Amino acid sequence: MSAEAPPLPATPWRSNLSRLTRLPGVFALAAVLVAFLVGLLLVVAMGVPLGKAIPAFLSGAFGSGYAISASLNRSVVFALVGLGFILANRAGLTNVGGEGQIAIGGIVATAVALYGGVDGLPLGLPFILPMLAATLAGGVWGGIAGVLRARVGTNEVISTLLLSFIAVWLLYWCVQSEHLLRQPMTTSATLPESAEIPHSTQLPLLTGSYATPVTIGLPIMIVLAILVAVVLARSGLGFRLRAVGLNPVASARAGIRVASTIVLAMFIAGALGGLAGAMMLQGEQYTLKTGFSSGYGFDGLVVGLLARGSVSGVLSAALLFAFLRSGGIAMEMSAGVPTALVMVIQGLIVIMIAGAAYWLERREASA
Amino acid sequence: MLQLEGISKRFGALAALSEVHIDFAAGEVHCLLGENGAGKSTLCNIVFGVHEADSGSMTLDGAVYRPTGPAEALGAGIAMVHQHFSLLEDMSVVDNLILGQGRGVLKRQEWAEKVRALGERFSLPLEPFARVGDLSIGERQRVEIVKCLMREPRVLILDEPTAVLLPDEIAALLAVCRRVAANGCAVILVTHKLAEIKQVADRVTVLRGGVVVTQSTEPEAEIDRLVEAMIGRDLGSLSGVASGAVGAEGAVGAFEASHTPDEAGEGAEEVVQIDGLTVRDTAGAVRLDNVTITLRRGEIVGVAGVEGNGQSELGLVLAGLLPATEGKVFVGTRELTRATPAEVTAAGVGIVPEDRHRVGSIVAMSLTDNLLLNRVERFTRFGLMRRGAMRRTAEAMIGRFDVRAAGPEVPFSSLSGGNQQKAVLARELETEGLVFLVASQPTRGLDVGAIESVYRLIREACARGVAVLLVSSELDELIGVADRIVVLYRGRAVGTLPARPENRPAIGAMMAGHAQ
Repeated sequence: MSAEAPPLPATPWRSNLSRLTRLPGVFALAAVLVAFLVGLLLVVAMGVPLGKAIPAFLSGAFGSGYAISASLNRSVVFALVGLGFILANRAGLTNVGGEGQIAIGGIVATAVALYGGVDGLPLGLPFILPMLAATLAGGVWGGIAGVLRARVGTNEVISTLLLSFIAVWLLYWCVQSEHLLRQPMTTSATLPESAEIPHSTQLPLLTGSYATPVTIGLPIMIVLAILVAVVLARSGLGFRLRAVGLNPVASARAGIRVASTIVLAMFIAGALGGLAGAMMLQGEQYTLKTGFSSGYGFDGLVVGLLARGSVSGVLSAALLFAFLRSGGIAMEMSAGVPTALVMVIQGLIVIMIAGAAYWLERREASA
Repeated sequence: MLQLEGISKRFGALAALSEVHIDFAAGEVHCLLGENGAGKSTLCNIVFGVHEADSGSMTLDGAVYRPTGPAEALGAGIAMVHQHFSLLEDMSVVDNLILGQGRGVLKRQEWAEKVRALGERFSLPLEPFARVGDLSIGERQRVEIVKCLMREPRVLILDEPTAVLLPDEIAALLAVCRRVAANGCAVILVTHKLAEIKQVADRVTVLRGGVVVTQSTEPEAEIDRLVEAMIGRDLGSLSGVASGAVGAEGAVGAFEASHTPDEAGEGAEEVVQIDGLTVRDTAGAVRLDNVTITLRRGEIVGVAGVEGNGQSELGLVLAGLLPATEGKVFVGTRELTRATPAEVTAAGVGIVPEDRHRVGSIVAMSLTDNLLLNRVERFTRFGLMRRGAMRRTAEAMIGRFDVRAAGPEVPFSSLSGGNQQKAVLARELETEGLVFLVASQPTRGLDVGAIESVYRLIREACARGVAVLLVSSELDELIGVADRIVVLYRGRAVGTLPARPENRPAIGAMMAGHAQ
């Protein structure tokens, strides 16, 4: 027996994850700063004067109550998808289907808001019911991938990605067909999108003013974030998720129901994605149209990856990315710098944080 | 021929080897003796270029030898037979040998001649064109040895080569070692079995905790001294089982009387019926063939057999991890034939899986988590874990079962193998209403002290009336601990004999497939 080798970590990937979660915030901050620096260099290389680009970026991100509110609303969506990602990831699952779960949430929220007969119900039910329905639908959408994984062993990376395509095309279909969600065709110029949802189904604004349109989505997300943190750290479910993620065979032997844990994890991840979709529709867009999900599902995925399993990581990455996006959009509009620059900066941050973690790992191993 | 001077190697905080000096001489069989974790494999890996020493130097035939990888070691004339074979099962013996050595046109006939010639010279008979997948484990090992000998090595390292072999095959292998040494090669044989040393060693180096504790040029005469050096304690303090485990039975006298309480006699109530259990794998091959075993209260039934003869499948079926194709399992009055693992546990069955790291524990979780893994729901209230209660329960178990760890919250991976196994055993023995314990290879990879603890715990359970099914490939241990021994061969229970030393040859023959 070759038990004389040094005690090995469970698997390199796992130990990597745990290392990353312990990565000092200093590194994250440094990575962000360096990424911004490179971004600035790129701006200069493009021949855009910094004196024009930077103010554009700042005013887009923080320039007004409206800008800040829009960024916050965006961060709520990123955070919900990211929370779902880290929760499923605790069970060893990688949910890359945020985009599709958002789309399904949007479809169902629109359908319920427009045709569910909720307009006129008391107690906020008009906006609560579409959200709940969307949450459930997103959960089912994620749960499908969970069932496939638990029953047939289909890798959830593949299935969630493919389910996303299905969901996005389903959304196209819904807004193209009058039998589904498309608004009545009055002229040939009627756009392929749904009618605007009734005012009562739109998310209430915290300030009550459209000048600062932060919706009730923000406090809901914060409550959910606390809940996810408690579930992961203290609950029996969190324990099972971790056990299944670390060693499904040993978990099964110990009597943990591995299959249902996997399905539940994917359900919750999908549900949070569905809720994010409902919030995008009911809090911001009000009509369902093609391109509805806007790639937020993938941004949320990156937020989840960057967070390295921690809820506070999700929240900070979600804020960062949301403000980055807002600033980037403004920069494109008023300084002519393509928003793709924001993608470059995001990518750099991811690579540097992953690289720093790897480097720390190597250093620790050789120490 | 090969000198090691002051070799040290650390893995993180663990000093695997410190200041090791050894001379390996041509024409000698030099045994490296030591328990698991003593540094034997690390030493071999340094010589073979897998690891680089942190300090110290090696000289080969007077020249500095500093391999940066196995390829360089092979080039310098150092070959190694690993515990785990690296053969392609679908290819013939010759093709496996040509692999990595053949250049240009493959001259299969020429290679086949070489195989035959080598086989004759060293008594390693091999059919060159046989498919490796059709060969027995012993034959496959021969292929590995021939692969090394083809390179005409000056140093041949064999890392625990006998662990997978039948008694006859072991004798043949040791004879090969002798012949290779007689041919002028330095043979390094890693082992923790004393019988092998007595048979073959010219010189013995004993390692303990990464340090050379003693050497001997007359191992046969000094065997007691060597054992004491290996285990770091007095032989008199060793129980019969444990001495069986290190193969020192001759040195310390007869086995202590095997456990035969009256309770386990004819009159005791039958608690476990395994009836006609058959398992076919997905390819349709029969892995377990109509196995019937009955256990009484307080009885220890050993299951002997060379690994791969159905023991793993038997363990998995009983654990609820593999559905039986046919047959039934009853524990008490409850049928557990297709029970889930949770139902198995609920029926009072404790399972010590053969694979401690993959099935028995979650090494990245804490000791507490692992001790309570099968009953976390009892420590949840309103969905939240009662960490305090878990910790108290775990601490009590750690004390009772003498699990040595830096604390209840340390990662399971930080425990030594023996303490990990004690923790797994603690969890399973604490199963509510325990009536049946299945322990598969419970002492694999453990040192003598841990082996003693494991068997003490198993015997205590048995004294409380628990029926124990003990699956092991260590026949000496089974004879020391069990009441009777069932032999598995190719999935069938080919015979049952009382566990007495005088039945050893008969059991060995059954393990090899010679029907009685």
